[in-house]
Amino acid sequence: MSVETLSVESRPASKVGAARVGIGGPVGSGKTRLLEQLIPRFIERGTKLAVITNDLTTHEDAERLQQSGLIDPEQVRAVETGACPHTAIREDPTLNIQTADELESLYPGLDLVLIESGGDNLASTFSLDLVDYWLFVIDVAGGDDIPRKQGPGVLHCDLLVVNKFDLAPYVGVDLERMRRESLQARGDRPVLFTNCATGQGVDDVVEAIGQAVLFDQS
Amino acid sequence: MLILDRILGQASEPELAERLHQIGHVGGLELLQVSGDDVQRRRLRLTSDAGTDCAIRLARTQRLSDGAILLLDTERAIMVRTDQPQYLMVRAVDAAGALELGYFAGNMHWSVRFDTDVLAIQIKGEVQDYLDRLTPMIESGKVQVESPCVP
Repeated sequence: MSVETLSVESRPASKVGAARVGIGGPVGSGKTRLLEQLIPRFIERGTKLAVITNDLTTHEDAERLQQSGLIDPEQVRAVETGACPHTAIREDPTLNIQTADELESLYPGLDLVLIESGGDNLASTFSLDLVDYWLFVIDVAGGDDIPRKQGPGVLHCDLLVVNKFDLAPYVGVDLERMRRESLQARGDRPVLFTNCATGQGVDDVVEAIGQAVLFDQS
Repeated sequence: MLILDRILGQASEPELAERLHQIGHVGGLELLQVSGDDVQRRRLRLTSDAGTDCAIRLARTQRLSDGAILLLDTERAIMVRTDQPQYLMVRAVDAAGALELGYFAGNMHWSVRFDTDVLAIQIKGEVQDYLDRLTPMIESGKVQVESPCVP
């Protein structure tokens, strides 16, 4: 019997997989450190997760997480892009989609796959074929003019994370102005400030992801 | 929050169209407006025109589209409405301008399609953001914006 002849109620449902969340941003902004803060928090709240990291020619970020003791090393996979990693999260995300599919197949109860990738400075964005929601991580030491430069990553991400806010006094950054200009650039879409060295502000990132794609009750 | 985790069918299907018609008569048809930017997503949270907090959670094999039915019972249905993609139509005045425009659009990673000698740039976000980026080429006369925004 073809689908067309089935009543609506008897049509087969497709299996809904894990939420997929991208974490992008310039090299050195603290994406891997953010992952190291997110992983224990999600595990603590009962979220079953896996992680994919994208690197140019190494598995360095994945190995760092695998050796961290925070997560089963088997649930961390590296995608070695061979070129600037942003190409594998935007133009052709096949490698990452395949890796996420493989993780979901191996670990059927997964709730969340975090996909981290750097590269392309402020222009990196994620394909929505790959992820359901994505963060862009910048840091205050990169300069408080980053939001004003209006890179696609800053403009189009679902959540902008400004990391290393504790360094503001040492690098001459006016945090309030940075917050104001971030919101102006993004049309009031969310911006959160974190210090991933200590974990300050990371609970709010977990909450934002939970509300947006894990559908936690308010 | 109402979890919607499958696409039951399309409003254009005869069986569904008749049922939606009947539900509409009793005021049970809710519309869920999904922006052109969001239509690719498998998970998102939106409020219907009747105020229902909807959490869409689809399989990777399913994709939202205009007319997709996400809920259907005897007295109530929820149907997706999507915006048509909008394009900025830009024409280069000569071959040199076309080269520069093509290079620039590629460097910006804009989604484009070619309409004979016009470059159609898909608008994601604000059209003014695109016009701002093109200002030097527009002011120097290398390109002309044919139409601010067309379906």
